[in-house]
Amino acid sequence: MKADHTVEEHQAPYGFIFGLLCVFTAVSWLADELKGFGLLTNWYVIAVIVMAVAAAKAMCVMLYFMHLKFEQNWKYVLLAPTIILAVGIPLALLPDIGLHYYVVADRPAVAADVVGHGEHGHDGGADEHADGGEDNAAAGGVSERSGEQ
Amino acid sequence: MSHATHSTHSHPSAVRMGLGIPNSKLCMWLFLGTEIMFFTAFIGSYIVLRMGSPGWPTDPHVTHINVRLGGLNTFVLIFSSYLVVVAHEAMSKRQFDRARRAILGTLLAGCVFLGIKAIEYYGKYSHDLLPGHVAETPDAAMRKAVRELREARRAWLDALEPGDEVEKVRLERARSAGSSADASSEHALFVKFDRAVEELAAQVKAERITLADVQRRVRELKEGEGIGEWLGGVHEPHPVLYGNLFTSCYFLMTGFHALHVVVGMLLWAIVLSAKSLEGWHEYVENSGLYWHFVDLVWIFLFPLIYIV
Repeated sequence: MKADHTVEEHQAPYGFIFGLLCVFTAVSWLADELKGFGLLTNWYVIAVIVMAVAAAKAMCVMLYFMHLKFEQNWKYVLLAPTIILAVGIPLALLPDIGLHYYVVADRPAVAADVVGHGEHGHDGGADEHADGGEDNAAAGGVSERSGEQ
Repeated sequence: MSHATHSTHSHPSAVRMGLGIPNSKLCMWLFLGTEIMFFTAFIGSYIVLRMGSPGWPTDPHVTHINVRLGGLNTFVLIFSSYLVVVAHEAMSKRQFDRARRAILGTLLAGCVFLGIKAIEYYGKYSHDLLPGHVAETPDAAMRKAVRELREARRAWLDALEPGDEVEKVRLERARSAGSSADASSEHALFVKFDRAVEELAAQVKAERITLADVQRRVRELKEGEGIGEWLGGVHEPHPVLYGNLFTSCYFLMTGFHALHVVVGMLLWAIVLSAKSLEGWHEYVENSGLYWHFVDLVWIFLFPLIYIV
């Protein structure tokens, strides 16, 4: 466990950074409260505020708590490739899942089922559970399951 | 290359890194590099799925997301990160008692974080907001209500007519006992409930009932004297579009994060188990880097899951 390297210590204003992080957290919470009171209704404005606050908090933690501000240039060599690769998955998923080049209403789960109980589209998951729950239907005197099969 | 070869030949036991940081710290940063990719894969996929799913549940009354608890947990983790830098600073100044207190505080903060997380998870569990359990359409919600009512009936039947016979036999016995029993007896109440369930099931199957009516009937049954106490696991049906995707993302991200918190707590517990902290400086620094990273992940999870 003993350090065989000379660790250069840097005194960062830890108390001040901690206070700043608390203030940032309060700003995020406040944005949500204002949304609840109807004073901040634009979703994009809220998203920009809270994500900017998150980025600022992350910078504070990385630069001062993780001492990246005081580290040498190896930090760029080490972190840049991982960050580039990290961005890869969202970019790869974006065309098929994030961008809508097809008509949303064509998707069964989003179609009329959501609006009203007119259409009976089945979308897996919970429906299958519901069916599975009818396994005692015969015992209950209502032979739904056997009827379906 | 020639310089390296020369160095190796002249000083075979003195191969040293050129980065000026300990090997352990470099390893920790390399590990954190893989962790960055691990969590950004989840977070990035979540953002893409979220943006690509119009109608994603955001109403806290539907998702049962508690922003105040999430905000409190953010504060707890930030405070614990502060304690870690205090511990690291104290280790540098050889103030080992102070470092030990700060590390103990970090460990306790981790416990508080997990406690609050457990409360949040219980809220999801009690509303059956679990991956694969959420009804996403009115049709699915109504059938889920019927399934839950039948499960409740099964539990009641097990208490009322215990035995090794198949359920059908015991149900018939309970029905015949209830038909001839006093109206206030438990058997009579059971038969009343059984009839209500089967009537509702038939209407749902024949599509002769609306979601609002099913909600009202379930509410009435849950409020019914002598019946309601058996219906703790029955939920008023409310379809949540993309509810399964939401809960999958929620539990995946917060679950893996909580797992990382547990690992971090183990790292701190190891330090605290040492009799003296002399020589633990590097360990505390590296564990601190890991803990700050866990804090960093939460800093992004909080706004993404709880607010946006």
